[in-house]
Amino acid sequence: MQLQLKNFTKRFGDLTVIENLDLTVNSGEMIALLGPSGCGKSTTLFAICGIHRMDEGELLFGDREVSDLPSQKRNVGVVFQNYALYPHMSVFENIAFPLTIKKQSASDIERQVNEIAELVYIGELLKRRPAELSGGQQQRVALARALVRKPDFLLLDEPLANLDAKLRLEMRSEIRRIQQETGIAAILVTHDQVEAMSMCDRIALMDAGKIVQFDQPSVLYTDPANKFVASFLGNPPISFIDPIVDSGALMLPGGLSIAIPENISAQSKVQLGIRPESFGPQFGTGLPGKVCFVEMQGREELFDVLLADGSLVRSIQPAGSGINVGAQIDWGVAADNVLMFDQNGARL
Amino acid sequence: MKRINWLGLGLLAPAFCIVIFFFLAPVILTGFFAFTNMSTSTGVTGGEYVLNQTGLRAIEDKGLPEATLKQLKNAGYRVDAKGLAAMAEQFGENAAAEFAELHGDALFTSRRDMERALKDLRANQIRSTRDRKAAAELFKRSVLNERFATEDEFRAVLIEANINPADHDAIVMQAYSGWVWTKENIELIFTLPSSLRYAMNTLMYVGLTLSFNVLFGLFLAISIFYLPPRTSAIFSTIWFLPRVLPPVLYVLMWKWFTWDTGFIATTLSWVGVAPKNWMLDTSTHAWVVIVLINGFVGASLGMILFSSAIKAIPTSMLHASEVDGASRIQQARYIILPQLRWPILFVTSYQTLSLLTSFEYILLSTDGGPGRATEVWSLAAFHTALNNYGGNLQYGLGAAFAMLLVIIGIIASLTYLRFFNFREMIAKPRIEG
Repeated sequence: MQLQLKNFTKRFGDLTVIENLDLTVNSGEMIALLGPSGCGKSTTLFAICGIHRMDEGELLFGDREVSDLPSQKRNVGVVFQNYALYPHMSVFENIAFPLTIKKQSASDIERQVNEIAELVYIGELLKRRPAELSGGQQQRVALARALVRKPDFLLLDEPLANLDAKLRLEMRSEIRRIQQETGIAAILVTHDQVEAMSMCDRIALMDAGKIVQFDQPSVLYTDPANKFVASFLGNPPISFIDPIVDSGALMLPGGLSIAIPENISAQSKVQLGIRPESFGPQFGTGLPGKVCFVEMQGREELFDVLLADGSLVRSIQPAGSGINVGAQIDWGVAADNVLMFDQNGARL
Repeated sequence: MKRINWLGLGLLAPAFCIVIFFFLAPVILTGFFAFTNMSTSTGVTGGEYVLNQTGLRAIEDKGLPEATLKQLKNAGYRVDAKGLAAMAEQFGENAAAEFAELHGDALFTSRRDMERALKDLRANQIRSTRDRKAAAELFKRSVLNERFATEDEFRAVLIEANINPADHDAIVMQAYSGWVWTKENIELIFTLPSSLRYAMNTLMYVGLTLSFNVLFGLFLAISIFYLPPRTSAIFSTIWFLPRVLPPVLYVLMWKWFTWDTGFIATTLSWVGVAPKNWMLDTSTHAWVVIVLINGFVGASLGMILFSSAIKAIPTSMLHASEVDGASRIQQARYIILPQLRWPILFVTSYQTLSLLTSFEYILLSTDGGPGRATEVWSLAAFHTALNNYGGNLQYGLGAAFAMLLVIIGIIASLTYLRFFNFREMIAKPRIEG
């Protein structure tokens, strides 16, 4: 089933949080609403599940217009950040709740709950109370409760935020597996780019109530629409330097020049974005500087290099280079992978 | 060595004083009074020994032998050696000798007869009436209507009146006008049909008011939760008014509301209903009014406790139930109510205890009426001990009523504490958010 959100506007009092947002989620795919805190991603999610009313715009589940329906009638499954399990009910009762509300027969409920519990691997926990479960188990129960009545869409609001690093890694692939097995289209709200990139088919990157770019993770990474997308994705993050525009080429501090592609008209001011993996000794020389910080990450080392004009460029290299803080280096740049932005941050 | 924190103790001292003077002392005194027959007639200090007609009838009922009774009744004035000796001293040997000759060993039942006898003296006439009265006093041997300060004096008189010593103790006990220790109060309470009535009234009062408090409080709290903020603030303020109003004013307004010329009666008279006192017309009216008066006061407490408990339920849980498909009623039934279990139990137990002992609103409104229809146990204790039309305030019996209530209250509190598992209640919740 396809979800279409058209011209969605949300205001809280006089404050317009989201204006004219469009979003389409295709049947069976999992997308991420990614963005910094306060960008409106959770608001969008709550509008889709009906907890928040939409001030303007329309929401379609398939051909069904649901904009004015209360959340009870929308048939979406939601997993909340704190799981929102009912503490006075057992795990079984928690999962069965959406079905109990619909007054289904006890045998039907039992069959469906057992089915879904098997899917999320909590078959042996059904008699326990939420308080007796670990974070990961609570997460699975919340997933089971959201999925048990076969919703049209599965909405996940920061589902991994409350888990420790190891569990987060495990649940990432678990949620993706369950989503793919059930084939339910899902929307994941997160501020963690790794989560979004590793779990989702497409990412809608949001900033200040707008979707900045909506595409596959690899496209967002390699072909960002603007400086915000480029700087938000990538860990360690991209570095920006301000080259001097001189007779059809960009002069970098230290003498390296990069030709301005023909399809781009000469601008007075251009910013270059260099990802850490595009800067290093393997790309020759031309961008000299001083290593001012080295961060050992096990398999790799991260260098912060201070250039002559005072700007900072990061580089990531295989561990074992033996370069220490204070070393003077002269490394090159993979010119093909350099991203160019105009002074407003738009991609050139 | 353990250091004593004097500042802490000092700060706690007022609390100790309050506990001792306003709680422990009254409870202990109640227990003490409950085993006495203190009343208006005995006073609360010691007493004198006096046998009057009432007392006489009482010991007659208790089976005092007829002979002794006659002796007590008739023992008026006796011309005996002791009296004659006293007379000789005051009025001279001759007068005494003459009187002995005239009326020796005579018995007179009244002062008039005695004085008439004294007029018989010829040789040694006692001329003035006052002297004759004084002379008559010398022969007075009666026990009736005489006050004696101590038991010894009283016994001496009994011996003098030749009353069978076997009956002395019973007479002394009856004649004592002060209070004595007794277990009769408790026995009386368990035998009086009216105390059963009070107990049933109390059960009805506590049961009905409590149900009203909890159910109405729940209703208010849940509706306030679903109302928009401004409306709910006004709504809750209105329902809180009965609690903050002074009880006398609050009940006075109810009286205006229900009087035979009050609001209800006047309004209904427009549609042809004959005016009547809607509070005291029948016992049903009285009960409805009492439950409403107390209920509206108590419901506001429930409302506040339940409201804050509902607010403590994480919003995401309520959102979750909504997207799970629960309507508002189902949300209240399956999500909110189960999580109000502790506040409901708390309000129930707290209100049971306070309703058992509270009678101020009943006192101010129906005062137990009509008849004794709304007389609850605590009000009965108050009426018996401190305020009744009979005028004989039975402190002892009233204290016995109160003491039974204290015992029931303590048993109930202990039961509730155990039932609540107090330690578990004050433990930190195990689930977050």
